[in-house]
Amino acid sequence: MSDLVTLTIDGTELSVPKGTRVADAAKSVGIDIPVFCHHPKLEPVGACRMCLVEIGMPMRDRATGEPMLNEDGSPKINFGRGLQTSCTAVVGEGMVVHTDTEAVTDVRGTLLEFQLVNHPLDCPICDKGGECPLQNLVMDHGKMESRVYFEDKRRSDKHVSLGDLIFLDRERCIQCARCIRFQDEVADDRVLQFHNRGVNLEIVTMSDPGFDSYWSGNTTDICPVGALTTADFRFGARPWEMTPSASICSQCAVGCNMTVNTRREARSGGKPVIKRILPRQNEAVNELWLCDKGRFTHDYVASPERLTSPMMRKDGELVAVSWDEALNAAAEGLQAASSVAGLAGQRLSNEDYFMLQKLFRKGLKSGNLDVNNRQIGGGDVVAQVGIAAGSDLQQLGKGDAILVVASDLHEEAPLWWLRVKQAADRGAALVVINGRSTRLSSHATHNLQADSGDIVATVRQLVSMAKVETDGTGALDAAAETLITANNLVAFYGYEGLSYEETESLAKALANLLLIQMDGEPHVGRMNNGLIPVWPYANTQGAWDMGIHPALLPSYKAAKMTGMDAVAMFAGAADGSLDALYVVGADPIGDGWMADRGKLGLLIVQELFMTKTAVTADIIFPAQSWAERDGTFTNGERRVQRYYPAIRPAGDSRPDWQILSQLGERVGAGKAETVTSLVFRSLTKAARQYKGMDYRSLGQVEAQWPVVGGDDRYYGGNAFANTAGLGKQWAAVAESKAVKQFEMDDAVSSREDGLLLINAASLYTAGTLIDKSAVLAPRMAKITLTINPVDATAYEDGDTLMVRTDRVTVQATAVVSDDVMVGTAVLRGVKAMNGTAVARLSKIKE
Amino acid sequence: MIAEKYAKEIEGIIARYPSKKSAVLPLMHLAQREYGYTSESAMKEVASILDLDPTQVLSLAGFYTMFYEEPVGKYVLEICNDLACALRGADEFVDMACKKLDITPEETTDDGLFTIKTVMCLGACDRAPMLQCNMSFEENLNEEKFDALLGRLRAEATAGTPSFSVAEKMASYAVKDGA
Ligand code: SF4
Ligand code: SF4
Ligand code: FES
Ligand code: FES
Repeated sequence: MSDLVTLTIDGTELSVPKGTRVADAAKSVGIDIPVFCHHPKLEPVGACRMCLVEIGMPMRDRATGEPMLNEDGSPKINFGRGLQTSCTAVVGEGMVVHTDTEAVTDVRGTLLEFQLVNHPLDCPICDKGGECPLQNLVMDHGKMESRVYFEDKRRSDKHVSLGDLIFLDRERCIQCARCIRFQDEVADDRVLQFHNRGVNLEIVTMSDPGFDSYWSGNTTDICPVGALTTADFRFGARPWEMTPSASICSQCAVGCNMTVNTRREARSGGKPVIKRILPRQNEAVNELWLCDKGRFTHDYVASPERLTSPMMRKDGELVAVSWDEALNAAAEGLQAASSVAGLAGQRLSNEDYFMLQKLFRKGLKSGNLDVNNRQIGGGDVVAQVGIAAGSDLQQLGKGDAILVVASDLHEEAPLWWLRVKQAADRGAALVVINGRSTRLSSHATHNLQADSGDIVATVRQLVSMAKVETDGTGALDAAAETLITANNLVAFYGYEGLSYEETESLAKALANLLLIQMDGEPHVGRMNNGLIPVWPYANTQGAWDMGIHPALLPSYKAAKMTGMDAVAMFAGAADGSLDALYVVGADPIGDGWMADRGKLGLLIVQELFMTKTAVTADIIFPAQSWAERDGTFTNGERRVQRYYPAIRPAGDSRPDWQILSQLGERVGAGKAETVTSLVFRSLTKAARQYKGMDYRSLGQVEAQWPVVGGDDRYYGGNAFANTAGLGKQWAAVAESKAVKQFEMDDAVSSREDGLLLINAASLYTAGTLIDKSAVLAPRMAKITLTINPVDATAYEDGDTLMVRTDRVTVQATAVVSDDVMVGTAVLRGVKAMNGTAVARLSKIKE
Repeated sequence: MIAEKYAKEIEGIIARYPSKKSAVLPLMHLAQREYGYTSESAMKEVASILDLDPTQVLSLAGFYTMFYEEPVGKYVLEICNDLACALRGADEFVDMACKKLDITPEETTDDGLFTIKTVMCLGACDRAPMLQCNMSFEENLNEEKFDALLGRLRAEATAGTPSFSVAEKMASYAVKDGA
């Protein structure tokens, strides 16, 4: 194949794609060339010279152009006069590379001597010590003795706070610019730069707040020395003292693979505690990165406020009781109740959801099941035309297209934002449709700003334009043309500014777009094509798959009778038509869906914390956090991924599935399950999409590029190699049979008079879990309401407003700006406000 | 705010480049002319005009010796003491100049008139020792010529009639840019 180039490195012949850099080619056959500034995910700069090697090319006769041969018939190789940087040198046909000659070894020693001229060598107190590329390379290649005077070392600041999350030790920085290039090229937050020159070169930030980026933690992973450290881990532990446990982030629908590092500590009574969280490589999901929310939200696990024992209300007070007493009382209460309903949060595991629906459907004979904060529908549509198994957003580029509707990916699903932006950088056409411009807009080929009330109508119009070849010249026509002619097409949909019903129509409209068959194949059922829902939580997908839905059983089979949905449950609790409510991992009172427990005869809460709902409960079951147990989450791309226990459970807490199954046993739902892997096995029988999966297959891995996690630590940074499972995507219907166009209902517009309230997501929005993060505390989103000057006649910037909707009342700071359209108000920093609520404002007098 | 005060000028500068961010150096000059140095707020202004992060502007201010991040005197004497100049006595010249003005490099005289800075090669190595003041070169210097220069600048300051305008100088560069 002409796209491959064959070369020889240290006697090993290999063929790699044209354009590959020599250092990467060497790594691919297990030859480690030392690097500092080079990183496989960044553009090469050749700044540090650590990667110098001997590179020779076959000689050709000038006159004839024929290869010149040695006497023995082998090609003559010209090694030129000097060494070359293998991170910038591109492979060539017939190239011969030597990485272990005397000249190479010698220059490595010299370069390391230079690196150490100003390096403080404070390894014994450095967080990086033990996993430090510089330390490792000096041990391997260093000269152990320096010709430079120690007294001449440059002294500089050692505790520079770059914002609240990251600290910089200026003395340790070796000026490789990996951090700067990551921020520029990968994150597109150009908030780190060099300042001054030469020996005085130093890293600075001037953003407000400092180092203002959702990606800052990643720079500490790829910094080849201990110059950058996180506020979370700084001086926390030595790398070799910690135990790694594979995990999955529970903070959004991307499902980033991560590794939880724990250490046993005296202050926790000898129990392991979480010291830090690092990315675990999964090139199809998060590559080598994590957003700062995923990395720094873990504090809640160790919070002293965790519930540690079952509780029951006795004489009006909640008192600790035994598990048996609480379980028996709950079973009796639920069986005696005239009506029961189950309400679940959206970050429980698949196993938990499965046992919850079994408890209700089989044990209590009730289909009253739904999720709390139900904001976005269309799971049934996703099951038909969701992005195909085996897809990887990293493969999208020139000739492909991505459509993002009603979602601010940067705030809702950061890693998807990153990967969509990078696809656009590689040449994929990006169409963004939203009620306001977002961080993605500037990367868009077509940025279509629609009035939030008209988003669904706009998309439907786009679909009808795509169906016929129009010669229209409008922006929408152009976008339709781009999308429909793309080789591969992925469509994301969210819920910003939309009601639940509108998101359902939106999902169908987008499905119809994907299903259009022009000249080629439709954009469903094949790799790198299909629909991706921007679910608001880590396992909303699993809730759909397991039938936490009033009308759908596991497998998306229609239930014989439709049960109560969340809205009906809240109404039932208020008017007394619902007798007993079972809440798992959700806080409907705290989130404003219920004012209080209303006329409920029985309220059972299964939780980590004493939430506003738990306070009013009759029975409370303490659940284990995600770090204390195992289970599976299914991400928005329908990838089922396994996570593992990292620490011991808090107090007497139990995993959610276990509580539900022990309760189920008491109400006739079958024998209690004892092991998570067996629960998973049972659920694969009910949810046929999961057929063939088990804990072993989910734990399988295959080779990934770039290679990380080796002993060297200098190539890809500190991200962990994936040894615990890449997960498996389940196949959407369209992958095995044709799917017909969806019938669209008549346009629904639930719009009332008044200011249309758009709840714009912020990554760091207050919530039960993130509130406990000490590191993120200073970065939490302020509650603001942005209104157009036309609507803001009575208000000014900075006014404190009361914002009231049917459901909740919040206090927000006014921002008057024409970034938002007339008639709409954008509320930030509040979770789960209804998309089409009408805001009523009043100013608070100072 | 330079954005309002020099709206037209800024528009013209930005129009000279295919991409807006390329206008960053001329705008930094403009801000420095306005405020006397590129203060933090000046850098933030430039950044917001060009949709850059202020850190990017700061980085340039740090890279080039021609931008001052701290307040300076009315006349900044940028003396080259890079290798070639050093071989022709630049270090001794710096010492002499400092002594004369009773300051050390980076300092400003009490009357606020003069700041001495040492800088990297300015491309006039053959006429060392040399310095740059207000974007003009003073070359083949010695103590006598330095005294004369100080005298001229002092007189200018007293009279309030600068013999030289940064604005004009910049305008002359602008023409060159366009050519
Ligand atoms: S802080 Fe680390 S990553 Fe950034 S330039 Fe310095 S050594 Fe490189
Ligand atoms: S992008 Fe989502 S899944 Fe990934 S680390 Fe951030 S919050 Fe977690
Ligand atoms: S120059 Fe190649 S790794 Fe730095
Ligand atoms: S070294 Fe001074 S001008 Fe060149």
